[in-house]
Amino acid sequence: MLGQIALIAFAQRAPDHVFGFQMFNASSELKITLYRQIHMYGKPYRLSVQHAAWQARDKNKVTHAFRWNDRVHDGVLGQLDTFVHASYGLDAQLFRLQFALNDVAAHIPDDAETDALVAVVETVKNGRERATVELTAERP
Amino acid sequence: MSSRGSAWLREERDAYVFGLLRCALGVLLFLQASRALSDWWDSGYFGDYWHLPIVPASLVPSHGVYAGLLAFELVAAACAIAGVWSRAALLGSSTTGLYLLLCDRLQYHNNRYALLLIAFLTAFTPCDRSFSARRGARALSPEARRAPTWARRLVQAQVSLIYGASALGKLADPDWRGGQVLAIRYLHTLSYLASQGVRVPRWLADVYTSPWYASATAKGAISLELFLALGLWQPRTRRFALWLGVLFHFGIELSARVELFSWLMWTAYLAFVTPECRERLLEVDPRSRVARLATVVLRRLDILARFDVHENADLLTSAGSIVRVTDRSGHAHTGWAAYAQIASAFPPLFAAWPLLAMLATFRERRQRSAAAP
Repeated sequence: MLGQIALIAFAQRAPDHVFGFQMFNASSELKITLYRQIHMYGKPYRLSVQHAAWQARDKNKVTHAFRWNDRVHDGVLGQLDTFVHASYGLDAQLFRLQFALNDVAAHIPDDAETDALVAVVETVKNGRERATVELTAERP
Repeated sequence: MSSRGSAWLREERDAYVFGLLRCALGVLLFLQASRALSDWWDSGYFGDYWHLPIVPASLVPSHGVYAGLLAFELVAAACAIAGVWSRAALLGSSTTGLYLLLCDRLQYHNNRYALLLIAFLTAFTPCDRSFSARRGARALSPEARRAPTWARRLVQAQVSLIYGASALGKLADPDWRGGQVLAIRYLHTLSYLASQGVRVPRWLADVYTSPWYASATAKGAISLELFLALGLWQPRTRRFALWLGVLFHFGIELSARVELFSWLMWTAYLAFVTPECRERLLEVDPRSRVARLATVVLRRLDILARFDVHENADLLTSAGSIVRVTDRSGHAHTGWAAYAQIASAFPPLFAAWPLLAMLATFRERRQRSAAAP
């Protein structure tokens, strides 16, 4: 029981309040727009990822198809370009999204064009404050 | 406090209700494990795509081991339901579930975690002394069912922790305590109803979406959770707290998708039921067909074994009622008061208990004033 209380105290500092029994803690929403960061002629460019999928060439100039949902099956973060309920709060979903971006960026070895994946996230906290957050994951 | 603590450690009570708690938790664990198996079947092994382990990645099971653990969790839950190696099965199923929960943060939900914790703690109660398929007809006598029940206090504390943490979390969030979170939820509910073709009267929609209503219900929900965290422990407030809790979770079940959470909390309330069985005497007059029918229903559905039911052919003549309930303290109740007593301890009618109790009080007062000179 003491361990439980310690976990609940710890949960207050965790972005997703894991182990904290924080029921129905938010009515916030977020919309993720995904971009690929590439470079051409020495200059960086951002390309929008449409329908959560893109095509890119590998080192041998062979084209491959990639899909966000090949790696991200999560019900919230798996949906791009649409507002979805941020279960467990915005902090929880942004915290998880960074890991998801890192994971996808680390699992596209056949994409020799993309330097980084960028998620531009529009957030609406409990129906009021709107904000935009940008998260980036460089390819390892 | 320390003497109460040592009394709790030493107390021996009838274990009948813990067997029921074990069976119900077994069903919930079975459903939870079935859902995980179904997800595995449909989407594949979670380790093959993005996941977020809480334990070190080296402790995440391989595909084959994961499938085996899910199957074990399911079989152990089935054993807990049937009463085969009951406590070990409940412990095994809940521990496996907790371990798998730690392997992927994305699969974490408060309700799943709460179920596993409550099942884990219940395994330390003497929950193997009743509802056992292995014993069959050779059920233990009430004396043989008596056993140390200190772990019941841990289950109760776990329930209070859930309510307390949930209430304090909401209290600390200005958007929650101010009603903003609920206001958005209410707007979504109305949009959903409209999309389903349900027309809500304008005045009701105005009230439902007004800031003062959201603010009042937010404060009400926080107060209710705090009351449940504490009120379940006090014998004087326990029955009312249980009644409020039953309705509270009924409301949540209707308005939100919370997987098995409502069912879990209703089940966990069994830990607050007085363990001793058949301490209330229910007498019915066999000449009344309605009373006889009610007796059959009550005998079949009295899953908490609250009533010792007897037929009394003289009841209508001697007590002026076809039903008489003698409660734990020896007080006899007839008429509406008897029905209120039945509802207070009979789960299918429990929601109606306050209404029946108020009716009984109202009629008693009217009879008293009519009898007064």
